[in-house]
Amino acid sequence: MNATILNGGLAGDLFVDRLQDLLLAELATAGYQPAAWTLREEKISYCLGCFECWTKTPGLCRIDDAGRLVSASVINSHLVIYLSPVTFGGYSSELKKAVDRSICLLSPFFTHVDGEVHHQRRYDRYPALLGVGILPHRHVEQEQIFSTLISRNAINMHSPQHASVVVTRDLDEPALQAVLRPALSVQEAIHP
Amino acid sequence: MNTPQTATLLIGSAKPIGDSTSEALGGYLMQRLADYGLTGETHHVARAMRSEARTAGLLAAVDRSDLFVLAFPLYVDSLPYLTVQALERIAAHRQAQENARPVRFVAIANCGFPEAHHNDTALAICRQFAAAAGLEWTGGLSMGAGTPFGGKPLEEAGGMARGVIAALDLTATALAKGDTVPDEAVAIMAKPFMPIRGYTLMGGMGWRMEGWRNGVYRQLRARPFANQSD
Ligand SMILES: Cc1cc2nc3c(=O)[nH]c(=O)nc-3n(C[C@H](O)[C@H](O)[C@H](O)COP(=O)(O)O)c2cc1C
Repeated sequence: MNATILNGGLAGDLFVDRLQDLLLAELATAGYQPAAWTLREEKISYCLGCFECWTKTPGLCRIDDAGRLVSASVINSHLVIYLSPVTFGGYSSELKKAVDRSICLLSPFFTHVDGEVHHQRRYDRYPALLGVGILPHRHVEQEQIFSTLISRNAINMHSPQHASVVVTRDLDEPALQAVLRPALSVQEAIHP
Repeated sequence: MNTPQTATLLIGSAKPIGDSTSEALGGYLMQRLADYGLTGETHHVARAMRSEARTAGLLAAVDRSDLFVLAFPLYVDSLPYLTVQALERIAAHRQAQENARPVRFVAIANCGFPEAHHNDTALAICRQFAAAAGLEWTGGLSMGAGTPFGGKPLEEAGGMARGVIAALDLTATALAKGDTVPDEAVAIMAKPFMPIRGYTLMGGMGWRMEGWRNGVYRQLRARPFANQSD
């Protein structure tokens, strides 16, 4: 089983990198082959909004950079982890640059999910999605927005399972493990 | 409450200048605000985030404005990468000032799906940004089925723009008086300009035609990354 971590930590944020290492270790113990993308170190251009990944080079962004590799890694995973400082309730810019480039994984054609319009699948199988958000201290509204955003992304991305947790920067390693371990079981329901 | 004299528009779409729905919406609101005597300036996010000097220009523009207008497209249920980056910079810049000038903030979201409520999470994020940056939240407008509005001014978009124009007119009148975005404007903006079924049918046809024009009609469902790990 493959797992991909998208690390959206901004420059100098060592806490996010420590969390990434913790997650990598936990994933390996749980039997995954984990990979991590430290997105701030990757040259990933912004999505141009041109939709050519749907209408000109279907399934492939016209920009030939690491954004393509990240999308390939995502769709070939059983579990994807969005690891990010909670930024006004949403994802950091570093995570967002990769997430925006992932619409090539969907079909342009429409479908209905729970009475709402969404895009059809391009692939047969999509990964489960786990959001791991980081805040300096508890912030109920932003935690709620982060959790809603993960749920909304899971619908858009046809994720069979999803979950989200928010941790605060004051937690030590055992406390972080205690939060992350149960969250990682998000995927067990489909691939025990 | 003081009435605003100056406004800065940030267009959060990275499409070329003149192409985006965000520009059509934000540009129209700025024109109406100008009718009420506000002076304004417009920044495009892809340009503003291209160099430190340009980013500094955006930060200074927000600082000297009475009203900051953000018009953006919904990207994967939230704001686009460069727009998030711009907001991160604005918040950090204002937090670093001891007495940041009071600035009001209004957000205009548009998305591709016909239901405007897809924008709810993005507008909630905008509201949190306002709090973090010390801006006064005046409200958010949310439009579905936005894609067809790109590339031309709203006045040239015909009947489909009637509701949007009415919503932005009401918003401009309120903002120019120093009021918040009226509920009526929010409701009109969110109303689909055509039945959802018709929109998705036409949208599907549009993607097929574009694929046909590009010579990839039969490949539209291609899976270039399939089975790379299996
Ligand atoms: C990368 C990307 C992600 C998008 N995600 C969504 C989405 O989650 N929901 C939606 O309704 N529309 C989505 N859209 C559609 C845009 O919001 C829509 O086309 C909008 O009208 C573009 O506005 P603009 O011309 O101002 O850039 C997405 C488009 C792109 C390019």
